[in-house]
Amino acid sequence: MPFEIKKAAVLGAGVMGAAIAAHLTNAGIECVLLDIVPPELTDNDKKKGLTKDSPEWRNRFAAGGLANLLKAKPAGFYTKKNASMIRTGNFEDHLKWLAGADWVIEVVIENLKIKQDLFARVEKVISPNCIVTTNTSGIPIKDISANFGPKLKERFLGTHFFNPPRYMKLLEIIPGAETRRDVVDFMVGFCENVLGKGVVICKDVPNFIGNRIGVYDISNAINLMMKKGMRFEDLDAVIGKALGRPGSAVFGTLDLVGLDTGYHVMNNLYAAVPDDEMRELFKPSEFMAKMMEKKWLGNKTKQGFYKKSKDASGKKTKLVLDYNTFEYVPFKSPKFESVSAARRSDDIASSIRTVFNGKDAAAELAREYLCNNFIYAANRVPEICDTIVGIDNAMKWGYNHVLGPFETWDAVGLKESVQAMKKLKLKVPKKIDEMIKGGFESFYAKKKDGVYYYDFGKKNYVKLEENPRIILLPSLKEANRLIKSNLGASLIDTGDGVACLEFHTKMNAVDQDIINMISESCDIVERDFAGMIVGNHAQNFSVGANIFMVLVAVQKGDWDVLDKLISDFQNANMKMKYLSRPVVSAPAGMVLGGGCEMAIHAARVQACGETYMGLVEVGVGVIPAGGGTKELMVRMTEGIPDGAVAAGLNMQQFYAKVFENIGMAKVATSAAEAMELGYLRKTDGISLNRDQQLWDAKQAVLGLARFYRKPKPAMIPVMGENFRGMCDAMLFNMAHGNFISEHDAHIARKLAFILSGGDCAEGTFVTEQEILDLEREAFLSLIGEQKTQDRIMHMLSTGKPLRN
Amino acid sequence: MRDAVIVEAVRSPGGRYKRGGLANTRGEEIGIQVVRGLMARFPQLKPEDVDDLIVGCAFPEAEQGMNFGRVISLGAGLPISTCGMTINRFCSSGLQSIADATAKIRAGWSDVIIAGGCETMSHIPMGGSAFRPDPDWGNRPNTYVSMGITAENVAARYDISRDDQDKFGVESNRRAYEAIKSGKFKDEIIPIEAYRYVVKKGKRVREKVRFETDDGVRWPTTAEDLNKLRPPFKQGGSVTAGNASQMTDGAAFSLVTSAEKAKQLGLKPLAKLAYFAVAGCEPDEMGVGPAYAVPKVLGMAGLKTKDIDLFEFNEAFASQALYCVRKLGLEDRYWAGDVNPNGGAIALGHPLGATGAKLTAQVLHEAKRRGDKRCIVTMCIGGGMGAAGLFEMI
Repeated sequence: MPFEIKKAAVLGAGVMGAAIAAHLTNAGIECVLLDIVPPELTDNDKKKGLTKDSPEWRNRFAAGGLANLLKAKPAGFYTKKNASMIRTGNFEDHLKWLAGADWVIEVVIENLKIKQDLFARVEKVISPNCIVTTNTSGIPIKDISANFGPKLKERFLGTHFFNPPRYMKLLEIIPGAETRRDVVDFMVGFCENVLGKGVVICKDVPNFIGNRIGVYDISNAINLMMKKGMRFEDLDAVIGKALGRPGSAVFGTLDLVGLDTGYHVMNNLYAAVPDDEMRELFKPSEFMAKMMEKKWLGNKTKQGFYKKSKDASGKKTKLVLDYNTFEYVPFKSPKFESVSAARRSDDIASSIRTVFNGKDAAAELAREYLCNNFIYAANRVPEICDTIVGIDNAMKWGYNHVLGPFETWDAVGLKESVQAMKKLKLKVPKKIDEMIKGGFESFYAKKKDGVYYYDFGKKNYVKLEENPRIILLPSLKEANRLIKSNLGASLIDTGDGVACLEFHTKMNAVDQDIINMISESCDIVERDFAGMIVGNHAQNFSVGANIFMVLVAVQKGDWDVLDKLISDFQNANMKMKYLSRPVVSAPAGMVLGGGCEMAIHAARVQACGETYMGLVEVGVGVIPAGGGTKELMVRMTEGIPDGAVAAGLNMQQFYAKVFENIGMAKVATSAAEAMELGYLRKTDGISLNRDQQLWDAKQAVLGLARFYRKPKPAMIPVMGENFRGMCDAMLFNMAHGNFISEHDAHIARKLAFILSGGDCAEGTFVTEQEILDLEREAFLSLIGEQKTQDRIMHMLSTGKPLRN
Repeated sequence: MRDAVIVEAVRSPGGRYKRGGLANTRGEEIGIQVVRGLMARFPQLKPEDVDDLIVGCAFPEAEQGMNFGRVISLGAGLPISTCGMTINRFCSSGLQSIADATAKIRAGWSDVIIAGGCETMSHIPMGGSAFRPDPDWGNRPNTYVSMGITAENVAARYDISRDDQDKFGVESNRRAYEAIKSGKFKDEIIPIEAYRYVVKKGKRVREKVRFETDDGVRWPTTAEDLNKLRPPFKQGGSVTAGNASQMTDGAAFSLVTSAEKAKQLGLKPLAKLAYFAVAGCEPDEMGVGPAYAVPKVLGMAGLKTKDIDLFEFNEAFASQALYCVRKLGLEDRYWAGDVNPNGGAIALGHPLGATGAKLTAQVLHEAKRRGDKRCIVTMCIGGGMGAAGLFEMI
């Protein structure tokens, strides 16, 4: 019987359980969220007249988990509206709801007995096809399922999310010995395709992969720090961005996660792996125990390894704990020559190499630290994972390392590292000696037909399995599928008659190259293709127009050039919109200003769940003039039934929303929110898996192409000058409330003029070109003003908007 | 000139905006029930005796549109011979209608008029559902200034501190709480057979609820609580939800007759509206209106504030109410309980067009209890005006 997950149940409404439920709703899955009935009525409860029969009291833990989730930062929900997809209850009264669930995931306290008891009750109520998983991070799957009936054992496995589940890509799947293969396969596909996670299959060993390697990584670093008499901030300076680690490095990350969490994971691992050769390092160090005692647990207790403070003059300062004196002292960023040199590297591999080969104390530390890491990781194959790929992925996806341990090893060089290991008198694993003897020089090798990884068991390279749902533009380019290209963008053939327009300027800022390529791509696609994707692999789809270029043109007084640039951009976007082939844009990450304008001129948008979209032009003193203002007007009013405007429909709320979105530079915090703000259509698609987004977009192109007809030219109903009156009154109030500056109001009035449709009466229908002309006029007028130029200058020099 | 008297003045309880007891009940229904309740108190008055019904309403549109006055008079079961009209002078509309009724009767054009106001703010937004300021009036956007900004302007220009405003807010709630607890409002309130929409057994149903007590009072409240609230109208401002009037649903009506008619029917007059004045001021500080309107009405009567026993200042905002009270030299009398003795709009709500009639009901019943001779109802008005009515008890 094929599996399908439409409804799920999450057992345990703590931080993790509630956040998992939230992410399920992000994927469109309805959820039941249950927790225990509180142990006792408090005095306060009694005062409120609650009894042990009151649902308010009985469901308190689950309801409270949901309430906390709504306040969580970063947000677990794509949109708070998703909360309505979660039904809260308790284990005593509502276990029967599990009968309707296709997936039950247990996220209760890490206590074997409690888990076993709960599952014994769950087993009685679930449907025979229900998949049951645990989110345990440490308890063996075989222990939890020891008392299960054989049928349930077949459908039981571990699904270990990383916190926060919406944002962390890693999901460890731990099959039990008796778990059916089709169940595992289904869950891998489901977690990747529907939940958007990066799945790593793990063995049923303590802490699985991420937290095994991760705990060693931290323990190793701390141990070396103490051995070398370095301080917290020294370690964080070395094992940070230069080595491809998050900027928060070791201790900043521990502050973020909470020392208590790290402390327990270390202790648990210590107890669970008596045979681990590095076990002694897992014992939390003395300063950690002392910090636990003092409850200096990190950000949640306002102090941990670091502490934010204010000096005598009220200026914000950062303090760092001195683990010898146990006092917080002013933080001074340590300077290491090797780390500074690494900062000038072009890519992460050369950055890591620079530090590894350096000559200062930082390099010494990094060398020993990395060599230890390499050896430990190599020794864990096949103990915790059969392939090096699983370990690399786990560390990249669960710990935000840019490169996994074996990829890092390749960056340093296999031979070079072994030399360093020998110098440090470290024991080089036998399998590495064998590998070198076998003539292998790296863990990964790129060959004509794909990427290969070294398999310790087979003592040979094995081809990395390609996921057909992942379109990789660089691979296509290497395979001679590039159709046309300039400095800013490329058009690539993805096969099946679908081309992909990729931007590749810095931050994918829109410039003349991109604009030209849009236009040329449209011609090519019109002639030779079924449709086009507009998408790329960069962190950000596009951060907007290249304002530096604009500012230079302004300062040279090249008004004609600017006018042409804006016209070209508008025309390119319009060409894309009215192409007789379907265009599907695939925005992800930041999609701002001009980036947003391009994305919303596609026939359909297949957005990544993590899309931060907005028309933010007022931040640099202008209004969206590449068709963004116009297109938002179209999108906001296109659903109005025929005749409603003529019959006197009051469009005040429609246009107030456009005015607010652009006037306040509102940026959606997810694709779902972009729909609520009206940038995206409610019928547009959302891909939770960024890796698969281009493939999803391609499917959308192919689907649309079968019956595609380009849209009819839009006629936009406007409110005419009445809208300006409304805006004037609103702006007057905002200015008097000191919420906006004079220049803000000035820009907003220009915006209001565009939205009003120009000098016309309420209920007039205008063409898109009329609005485009108003956009261009307003843009050119604003860009000529000193205060707007000051805003641009400020943005270029500080990266932040200026309010003048 | 013949005299006009107020036989009775009644009101509905105030229902909190959107979440209160009247939030689902249509506006005319509230008005209709208050009029019916008023008529029921005087069986000797035949419906056909009522010549006209005047309703004050600040946003006479949607369910309050289509000549709200005629809708209420027909809905209340008054005969087709009884007419109806709607008047609007924003927040003084309810008092204005009583003044107009009084003037009409004094002129001899009418004998019996039901006058008051009705507003359902839960349903009709401030500014109306189609706000359309004149786009060519950019040089005087003051005309459309938000009321919150005017309150901030009063606070800033006349130095009304945040602490004083919050203290005033707390006192308003305390007084209203005490008044309700001691049953002071019972006589003046017509309970409403309200309805609300609920989900019962998975079905949406309309359910009847009897609504008899003002539900906006926040007690206990402390100045510290109010001090935590953020000023929404102005960055660094001082006007908050805690020291401003509440948006409220409600209706209030008075029975105004000629003295002769009252005598003829054996109706015992309660009071008369002896004088009424409106005075203009700057639109962007409309809250100071009463500071002009009260001296104007006192001037007509040749009286001083000391001759007035009891005042009701509409508490549109603590900043403006406190300013006006101070400006008129009444702060001591406020704390002594001669001004807003039972709390004001900060606690009991400000149903715009109904407020004037609501305060009339409150002031006349309180004056009767206290045995006062003269009392004043006054309020500020959006657009820059103040209104004041001077009542003499009979």
